[in-house]
Amino acid sequence: MPDPTPIQKKVDSDVKLIEAIQSGRMDRFPELVRRYERVLYNFGLKMCGEPRDAEDVVQDTFLNVYKYIQGFRYETKFKNWLYRIATSTCIKKRRKSKFAPERELSLDEFLPQDEAAVEKQVPAWASLPLDQVLNEELSRTLKKAILALPEKYRVVLVLRDIEGFSTDESAQILKLSPSNIKVRLHRARLFLRDKLKTYHTL
Amino acid sequence: MHDHRQCRALFEKLSEYLDNELDQASCDEIEKHLQDCPPCQVCLATLKQTVALCRKMNSSAMPEEVSARLRAMIGQMAAI
Repeated sequence: MPDPTPIQKKVDSDVKLIEAIQSGRMDRFPELVRRYERVLYNFGLKMCGEPRDAEDVVQDTFLNVYKYIQGFRYETKFKNWLYRIATSTCIKKRRKSKFAPERELSLDEFLPQDEAAVEKQVPAWASLPLDQVLNEELSRTLKKAILALPEKYRVVLVLRDIEGFSTDESAQILKLSPSNIKVRLHRARLFLRDKLKTYHTL
Repeated sequence: MHDHRQCRALFEKLSEYLDNELDQASCDEIEKHLQDCPPCQVCLATLKQTVALCRKMNSSAMPEEVSARLRAMIGQMAAI
């Protein structure tokens, strides 16, 4: 007899807790909050920049989770569903602010403009071990560069390279095709790479 | 003879290459090109390090007062 349990449900470590909450144990909701508050706060910080906005992202996300958790049907992992809510919360929030302008990033803008701009030797910052390169100042530069990314690229970069979601999971969260995720991720990475190059040549 | 069209083709696929999302034939082609193309080697190394730096960035602790306000909000919702 076929097993009717959706595949995602079997590999989702949140299932037991979500099932308990859905069966009426709302007293266990704070456990869910404890499990995800810090990661959501950091997601909000990377996406919005300001601690105040990150706090709003966390609050609004949990508010919506509380409201809609009964409708969660295990079609995706709970964490992916949570980030879908958090992502749309960030996007609504950002529309009200005046940060990085929305624009398309083209591949051509990241290609060397002429022969003189072609690097033939790996620069020190790219060949040294990470802990020798990543100091506080560079970390600040990187965070600033992430915030300077147009939002549709920033969200993909944050999900893939900071939160560690796979291409398919990011596609599910953002309701985009995997190939679209790959294109945006590559351009976002090239944008950051250029900022890091500039930082190291100044 | 160095074919610069291959550089452009490789440039487009570098992230997929780094993420192991290409088939074996494409990987072989890229690796063959990389052997003889220092600019593409630089491109790969700098992009790889950029990704590694993103992954290594520290996360911030959530301030205690933010956590307290969140708990208060959850408490209010539960009381409704």
